[in-house]
Amino acid sequence: MKKIGVLLGFVFTLFASCSSPDEVYVAPNSLLEFDVPSNFPRAKYDLSTNPPTQLGFELGKKLFYDGRLSANGFISCGFCHEQKFAFTHHGHQFSHGIDDLEGIRNTPAIQNAAFMQEFTWDGATAHLDLFPIIPITNEVEMGETVSNVLAKLQADTEYPELFANAFEEGEINNEYFLKALSQFMIMMVSANSKYDKYIRQEPGGKLSTLEAEGLAIFQEKCAACHSSDLFTDGTFRNNGLTPNPQINDIGRAEVSGALSDNYKFKVPSLRNVALTEPYMHDGRFGSLMAVLDFYEQGVSDSPTLDPLLNKNGQLGIALTNYEKTALVAFLNTLTDETYINDERFAEY
Amino acid sequence: MKYYNLAIMALLSFFLVSCSSDDDGTDHSAELTGSGEVSITFDNGFAGNDLVLGSENAANANGETLTVTRFSYIVSNFRLLNKSGETYVFPKDESYFIISQETDTEDVELPEIPAGEYTTVVFGIGVDQEKYLQGAEGQGDFVTLAEENNMMWSWQAGYKFLNFEGNFTSETVTDPTDFKIHMGSHGSSLDNYKEVTLQLPSNILVSDGMNPNIHLKIDAGKILVGATNSIELSEKAVIMVDAEKSPQIAVNITEMFSVDHVHNANGH
Repeated sequence: MKKIGVLLGFVFTLFASCSSPDEVYVAPNSLLEFDVPSNFPRAKYDLSTNPPTQLGFELGKKLFYDGRLSANGFISCGFCHEQKFAFTHHGHQFSHGIDDLEGIRNTPAIQNAAFMQEFTWDGATAHLDLFPIIPITNEVEMGETVSNVLAKLQADTEYPELFANAFEEGEINNEYFLKALSQFMIMMVSANSKYDKYIRQEPGGKLSTLEAEGLAIFQEKCAACHSSDLFTDGTFRNNGLTPNPQINDIGRAEVSGALSDNYKFKVPSLRNVALTEPYMHDGRFGSLMAVLDFYEQGVSDSPTLDPLLNKNGQLGIALTNYEKTALVAFLNTLTDETYINDERFAEY
Repeated sequence: MKYYNLAIMALLSFFLVSCSSDDDGTDHSAELTGSGEVSITFDNGFAGNDLVLGSENAANANGETLTVTRFSYIVSNFRLLNKSGETYVFPKDESYFIISQETDTEDVELPEIPAGEYTTVVFGIGVDQEKYLQGAEGQGDFVTLAEENNMMWSWQAGYKFLNFEGNFTSETVTDPTDFKIHMGSHGSSLDNYKEVTLQLPSNILVSDGMNPNIHLKIDAGKILVGATNSIELSEKAVIMVDAEKSPQIAVNITEMFSVDHVHNANGH
């Protein structure tokens, strides 16, 4: 059998060598380098199924900023995910989508998606490729159907060629549409903050005394959930926020249907957190200090409260004012100016 | 150069041919050559009667009378077992179908089934996690098909395996009240994909020019009243993501399929 394989290989080589040199001209495409930062864990996304290429990435970027992905033609992904705020919707507790309808959750940052297993605050999907279906079809976000989006792209003058070039004569279909968006998001890696330089012992990585103290406090009191250099363990937890009675968002239980998941939300990454206010799944806190005040004093008990926030009846995390100041100083070192100014990801 | 290619191809063909199976073809098998298409008809019914959308069905064991307005489900991963117990797996990428009473889509066609005598059909209900986790690559155009058939959850990038809607009355609920049962896997936390194995009442014969049909009868009444799980709409009429009832429905619907008959001549 192995011999047949070798023979086949030989035959293919022969055929390949016979192919004519005057084929149709195809715009050159090249594989993009995907570097895993040395302080990161392995990527969760299987890149072999969708290796990012220059043209696939550019197509994904064009789609990301294209309002035609929504029903009224104006709400693009980038509408709620603005680069300079680490791809969040600055100043919006909730984002307004189609027809000025408002959602119930705060826009999460987009970064390091290739390293994440589950997406959205409640983990509605466990594959990055399938994630865009959620905002596109959500009636208060983009209010569209994937089929309609594809029809609009097919009728466009530019997209058919862009798909063909990015995916070896690929047509405009689900698979390539979703793959292109993933390629754009896969490449969105944020790993050049002051903290990263510190941990990788690179130039520019010197923490101030206060920042270093903040890091030590963070490791002691926060890193159980905001773990690894992704600053999240990807789990769903109830952090003790009092449910907003007007919304009563039950979080993870929406997906699992399990009472034991009531009010649990995905632990967010803290990268670029200084840029992404307001905070929490419902954007209720306007500053990092307000978040720390909450963890110190505001945690409320409930059947699904995370056990880490209830130490023998002592709710929350004990923090002095000085510790909070140090933590905020440390959290500011997670801001990655390279990322938020990276022209590869910029709309214009 | 050309002759060399030809020579290699010839040599290869020889190897490939010589590798082909060494069946001990008995009975029909000896005459069955090439391949044929197996079609499977999903004939939707309700407790022994035809299922007519918008018409009232007889009361079920819980005393609930259902009028069904939508009945669709995903069937997938078709496999056929031959009488030697060998399994033919229909290509996975093409093995996802939606049966819909609304659009009168009731046939699954499986082309190019290798010639043989098959005793058993196995298929899944819904979309397995393996397929889902292949991402864009794995879904192909099935996302669009599912979306067009109301089999996607808009707020969750997942498939509804079953979409069963209508209204009902019971002893306690006297005004016709809407019910909605949407069942699928719950993200990564609950896998509701199930498989069904159906022994055929007589073997089907597949060969060049022989394209048999398997006629299934489906009893939608089993969705609520199964062998072990009984679900009362009077208690909860909208069941979408329910960690307790959804898995029960997933089990119940494995019981709704039975083989009524097979056609060994062409056609139904």
